[in-house]
Amino acid sequence: MNKIIAALVLGTALVAVGGTSMAADDWGKFDGYTLRVKLIGGAQYEPLYAEIPKWEAATGAKVDILSRKNHFELDREIKQDIAAGTLDWCVGSNHTSFAPQYGNIYIDLNGVVKPEVLAEFDQLALQNSTVNGRLVQLPRHSDVSNLFYKKSLYEDQANKDAFKAKYGYDLAPPETFDQFKDQAIFFAKAPDFYGTQYVGKDEAITGRFYEMLVANGGALFDENWNPTFNSAAGLKSLMWFKELYDAKAVPAGVLNYLWDDTGLGFGSGTVALNLDWAGWAGYFNDPANSKVAGDVGVVRAPKGDGGKRSGWAGSHTFSITETCDNKDAAASLISFLTDHDRQMIEARSGLLPTRTQVWKDVKAEFEAAGNAFQAMVVDTYSLSMAEDAFTPPLIEPWVEVSNVIWPALQKGILGEMDPQAALDDAAAKAKLVMEDAGYLK
Amino acid sequence: MLFRRRERATPYLLLMPALAIMAFVVVIPLGFSLYTSFTGYRLIKPETISDFVGLRNYQRILTDLEFWVPFGRTVLFLTVALNIEFLLGLGIALLINQVTWGQRTLRTIMMFPMMFSPILVGFQFKFLFNDNIGVVNNALQSLGLTGFAVPWLVDGFLAFFSITFAEVWMSTSVFAILLLAGLFAMPRDPIEAARVDGCNPWQTFRHITLPFLMPFAYIAMAIRSLDVARAYDIVKVMTAGGPAGRTELLWTLIARTGYENSRMGMANSMAYVSTILSLLFTWYFYRKLVAARRYMGGLE
Repeated sequence: MNKIIAALVLGTALVAVGGTSMAADDWGKFDGYTLRVKLIGGAQYEPLYAEIPKWEAATGAKVDILSRKNHFELDREIKQDIAAGTLDWCVGSNHTSFAPQYGNIYIDLNGVVKPEVLAEFDQLALQNSTVNGRLVQLPRHSDVSNLFYKKSLYEDQANKDAFKAKYGYDLAPPETFDQFKDQAIFFAKAPDFYGTQYVGKDEAITGRFYEMLVANGGALFDENWNPTFNSAAGLKSLMWFKELYDAKAVPAGVLNYLWDDTGLGFGSGTVALNLDWAGWAGYFNDPANSKVAGDVGVVRAPKGDGGKRSGWAGSHTFSITETCDNKDAAASLISFLTDHDRQMIEARSGLLPTRTQVWKDVKAEFEAAGNAFQAMVVDTYSLSMAEDAFTPPLIEPWVEVSNVIWPALQKGILGEMDPQAALDDAAAKAKLVMEDAGYLK
Repeated sequence: MLFRRRERATPYLLLMPALAIMAFVVVIPLGFSLYTSFTGYRLIKPETISDFVGLRNYQRILTDLEFWVPFGRTVLFLTVALNIEFLLGLGIALLINQVTWGQRTLRTIMMFPMMFSPILVGFQFKFLFNDNIGVVNNALQSLGLTGFAVPWLVDGFLAFFSITFAEVWMSTSVFAILLLAGLFAMPRDPIEAARVDGCNPWQTFRHITLPFLMPFAYIAMAIRSLDVARAYDIVKVMTAGGPAGRTELLWTLIARTGYENSRMGMANSMAYVSTILSLLFTWYFYRKLVAARRYMGGLE
């Protein structure tokens, strides 16, 4: 008996030693090295950081987290570091929308991260992480929006009959933005119930306008970087927001809404349709928090006049600084944080992973657990990520261009300016920004 | 001779550490930011710090309505917020001064709003004033007072009211505390003499208490005017200066220009023009303070 116990103990010890050794081989050995990092903070991002001690145990290195702030504050801090010449850290959280403005502070990860590792990522996500031919970031998880809707409204026979009589086609989750608008106006009974809602300020509404502009066959710039969003497609996109606002199909305060407001609004059960990120799916279907739990459907984002679906997308990413004194350790950490097992952790919480195998595996997990809704969410969002996703132009002055577009959109929606005049005014200002940034002569 | 010269230099030598610290902490940063206001300095391109553009940044903003409208709105915001805070603070101080039991607890409770981070206050009021799921609209509709959703953070007047409300909620206690300190320091003799002379409570307050409190009020106003002229966090969270620029204040504009757009040279020129506002208000309140002290027979 004692021999058996001794053999088991020895076997367990060998497995433990072997396991440690294997992990160490996987991630490298950096004994005594301290890797300085700046990471995005917030409830949905933190669970991943609980895994960092495993990397430390495997490599012998330590991770010193210098910052853990929301992305806008982190962006501000990184800009201050650039200005002060204090880029004395190695790994930073990044985002596809922010990356172009940082110039060459981050290294090209091609050749640093193993090609076979990169091959396991969604190729569109990698393409969207590439700035001027350099892969400056490794995508951690992605964001793209699809359309959540309240199922019971579409199953109600009285709604079906009334809608058909009014609009001449069958009531079903919208396939186009025109249908989306019809249905939002049809369902709205302000102030108790609204057809839909949209984010109404900052880069959020610029992004929504931009994706609709593309779906309608337009573009922000021509091939020479002249602003072209004041086109017919641009006007049609702006009018979509304005007509919903004028018809009171959206809440009156919508121009002040950001993501929390739209998410909480749909969860409150007072909104029929909600174009939103995958991360909200779990909340919407959670009876403890949401009044629409069990009554939520999701379909791919609608198409515009150009026959294309809206697909404004971005990825939360990790980058390595050019000034990093141990790029191997940095590459090891970001590879660890985006490996299959780490992405499964984030995917289980509803975030959209960037490894295609994780899409399949997490869907299988949800199905095995009988969670058909989350499995459908993974299906819808992974398809949309693979086929519809596109980023804003990956140019340094993107944020500044966005800052001239969104106030103009608000003026057009509120009627402070004629919509076409508002777009023309914004296009003229955007042209100045592009000239100042050296894109236009 | 040498000894006497050394003796004369001693005070300056003793002052040197303090002067050096002042230069390091105040003069150098101010001089640096003043210099950058004459450049095309972009935060993400450190090399642009040497792009000297002369007065171009100032010329641009001085002729730009998108700067002067927020400037005017900041003056209005400051004026409205300070007056409301003064009136409410005075009322609270007078009431607490009458309390004979639990006054310390009340004073502590009164300070609670000041303990919140402005960002937290911004989020709190953003959700209170949310038109769809906010408490204010739900209460108004449930009580039958309105049959529609009031667009608190969108309508120009209401959005201005909402950000002012949040600012006043957070900072009224500054006035209350300073005025309460004034009430505690107030001698009882003039009040008792006024009563003996037949003054009613209003006359006593108007001609004795209020003039005595005014120096305290002007100190509070000078401090708060500097705070409010730099208002940023609450407005950034509640409206981000929108919609359509309806609540844009100087510092939401300057922060967006400097950090989001990375145009730090332009942002610094805006900041220097905006300091005129702070200087004017400080000068005005200082004059009023001196006048109030002279009225009370105090030192100038």
